Amino acid sequence: MTADVHALTGAYVLDAVSDRERDEFERHLRECEACAQEVYELRETATKLGRAAAVAPPPALKASVMAQIRTVRQDPPQASVTPLRRPRSSWALRMTSAAAAVLLVAATFLGVLLVRARDAADTSEAQASAMATILSAGDAQVTSEGDENGRMTILMSRSADRMLLLADDLPAPPEGQDYQAWTITGDDARSAGLLPDGGTATLEVDDIGSATQVGITLEPTGGSSRPSPDLVMEFDLS
Amino acid sequence: MGDRVRRPQEAAHAVPRPGPDGSALLQRVARGDEAAFEQLYDLLIGPLYGVIRRIVRDPAQSEEVAQEVMVELWRTAARYSPERGSAMTWAMTVAHRRAVDRVRSAQASADREENVGRRQLARPFDEVSEQVTTRLEQEQVRRCLGTLTDLQRESVVLAYYGGRSYREVGELLGTPLGTIKTRLRDGLIRLRDCLGVA
Repeated sequence: MTADVHALTGAYVLDAVSDRERDEFERHLRECEACAQEVYELRETATKLGRAAAVAPPPALKASVMAQIRTVRQDPPQASVTPLRRPRSSWALRMTSAAAAVLLVAATFLGVLLVRARDAADTSEAQASAMATILSAGDAQVTSEGDENGRMTILMSRSADRMLLLADDLPAPPEGQDYQAWTITGDDARSAGLLPDGGTATLEVDDIGSATQVGITLEPTGGSSRPSPDLVMEFDLS
Repeated sequence: MGDRVRRPQEAAHAVPRPGPDGSALLQRVARGDEAAFEQLYDLLIGPLYGVIRRIVRDPAQSEEVAQEVMVELWRTAARYSPERGSAMTWAMTVAHRRAVDRVRSAQASADREENVGRRQLARPFDEVSEQVTTRLEQEQVRRCLGTLTDLQRESVVLAYYGGRSYREVGELLGTPLGTIKTRLRDGLIRLRDCLGVA
């Protein structure tokens, strides 16, 4: 199997792999310098294959694209989407005892079983810090919906302008689709990030603005610029 | 071959080259520069739409996917940095992935089989009249594809232009999966060496 995974560079670059194989291989790429270099080079080669097929689209496409981008907010340079799953088991030890005390007290006060439900393995340092910031703000609010078949918890503070979306055991989305989270203000929806595999994951949202709702939709793999009409989950924010 | 010598400079130049630097444009787009985005559109849309159209086939859906790709480039421009490669490679990677996702999520994979299968094997460049790429680029790719073994070439073409997974390629060609993975990799490496990593 170890020898096998290196052989996947070609199939990966050609997108000739399943979504699961792609995820697994991308994890492998983070650890295999030789494969990462090979992927980098073979991507350039694949690009040349693509360029050889270039065709002019209908001229009207340009106006359509330019019109749409005027309605699409650009992502900031620091991606605030943190997909999941990089075990950092030492973060709990590095938290100061004061911060840990705040978390425990706030969590108890709000009746949220966050700390119990989530492994240290699922939460990065940055998210732990965001959690502490929110929970220690005077106006922290939490809302949670679900059961043993999937739970979504929202933790936010308007004064800190931070929000954490915590998914627990969400069922895997259908093939070819990802969950996408949105902060909604009236008719305006801004993407808060993707939960590509469901399961247990955390999204951090900075800049809540005056959003009054959070919605979760199913979108094609990779997400959409606008939410599809059917909400999988919906939360009202105070 | 042919009754006159064809020199590279005679090829049609519908795609501006070298012209604007895609990498610089994309970095300006990251700061919200719409004029830069418009230039980026002009630079990229031929290759993007072409590869999408090759895979997705249907013109209306191809336009939809091309628009989704351009919007994604706008939205995520801040994630691009030049050390990750050229803007063209960045964009083409997004486009190819989205096109493949679009055809794979289509229910009627059987239709794809009969419309696309064998034709892809025979002639990867069948829409000569609509080509905007330079003759030179197209000839280079054609020539370098010719240096592959039949199995390597068929695998690569089915995967890249046909949007097939390596398992589907294995089924279509009646070849074990391990062999297909190796052929795809060896074929791309041979193409890389032939085309050069410029």
